[in-house]
Amino acid sequence: MTVTREIADKLSALPEASAVSLRLGTDQYFDAIQGMLDVFASKNNLEVFYITSTIPSQSIINALEVLEIPLDRIWFVDCISQIMMSAAKRHTHSIVVESPTMLENLMLKIEFLMRKHPERKALVVLDSINSLAIHNNTKILSEFLHIFVNNLRSHGAYTVIFSMQEYETDEIRNMLVIVCDETLELGHDLKALAE
Amino acid sequence: MPARGPEDNGNRERCATGIEGIDHILNGGIPRGNTVLVAGSVGTGKTSICIEFLIHGALNAENSLYMSVTEPSAKLLRNLIPFDFFDDRLVKQGKLAFVDLPGIYERLGIDEKAEFSFDEIKRLVDAISDLVDKHNVKRFVLDSVTSVSYRLEDRELIREFLLRLGMVLSAKNCTSLLVSEFTASEVGYSRLGVAEAITDGVIVTGNLERRGDLLRTLQVVKMRGTSHSRAKYVLDLTTSGILLVPLLKGGSIPGGG
Repeated sequence: MTVTREIADKLSALPEASAVSLRLGTDQYFDAIQGMLDVFASKNNLEVFYITSTIPSQSIINALEVLEIPLDRIWFVDCISQIMMSAAKRHTHSIVVESPTMLENLMLKIEFLMRKHPERKALVVLDSINSLAIHNNTKILSEFLHIFVNNLRSHGAYTVIFSMQEYETDEIRNMLVIVCDETLELGHDLKALAE
Repeated sequence: MPARGPEDNGNRERCATGIEGIDHILNGGIPRGNTVLVAGSVGTGKTSICIEFLIHGALNAENSLYMSVTEPSAKLLRNLIPFDFFDDRLVKQGKLAFVDLPGIYERLGIDEKAEFSFDEIKRLVDAISDLVDKHNVKRFVLDSVTSVSYRLEDRELIREFLLRLGMVLSAKNCTSLLVSEFTASEVGYSRLGVAEAITDGVIVTGNLERRGDLLRTLQVVKMRGTSHSRAKYVLDLTTSGILLVPLLKGGSIPGGG
């Protein structure tokens, strides 16, 4: 089974308003995005709100265009482009937060997007907990996740939090266990077959 | 929603601001007829809060009046956040009105550059009262009370003005917001620290610097007639309205966040 198919199937098996920690390797990154945004979100008629603190939203948008994934229902909250002083021109589907340390503003922008697009249920992707952990200490990050995830749950939104296995620490794992309903790991079947 | 406490005063009717976060903090809205000080330094969202409060009132068939002291209303309207829910028919239908106070000074023969006398204060409050009656105003904003107070050098005169204004508006069941500007270095929330003692409520907006980030904050310090949260919130001024989320505490301790 491909990573794209695997993630779509695993997410589809979860009840609405689930909060999921998605543990993946860096080599699975774009396959995971495709599985969530193209297969899972399309199938379930979801609006996607994608928080990126790992790479600029424009890079993800470029990749989505290559993969021919339509952007109509995908909106970005980008908290890395401004701090990187990258290109001033912004995509119309991208909202910038000045810095990944402005965690409250991440919540506010998602709230704003939910108000702007209330027609469909939402899938909120946080990419990634590891990059947010570079800029924030565990205490404030745990507090943020606790409030954020519970708020999204109350809106009936799916939450998927990326955790890159190569950069995971015990603190991050514990944090995710507390706030998430499920932890999904990708590629175990594929790895087992390869071995 | 914060638990209702003994000071909730049971059945007091609420004037829902329409700003979801503030109504949540206040257990449903401002107790109707209250006079509330909205105090803060520049660029913290005071005027936007007041305008949104008035628009929601007008949308809910409560006539609303914005009284500008320094900035002409026409200029204010040009710079207003283009709220998604704003409908300019509200202005045309008279449900949402903008009045410039200098025009009233002129009509009353009050020299706006000089200090006001006790008699002039009385006439000014009477003129506001007449306007509220004439348009059946249920929501009123004075932006700003600080500018009026600069013409009232005496602490007693400021007190007299605010007491009279508050009593007149409250008697008409009109819920009002009085904007107060202060700098971070000042003590208190208004000129000479008078208004916060007299008004029924105090909402403070501010700028919080945390590790180089500047966050807009809001805190309800006082509100008679209801229990309310006294925590600090972070706000965002958006076209969908003013949005609030709790300030993360991990970031407000030294070295945290």
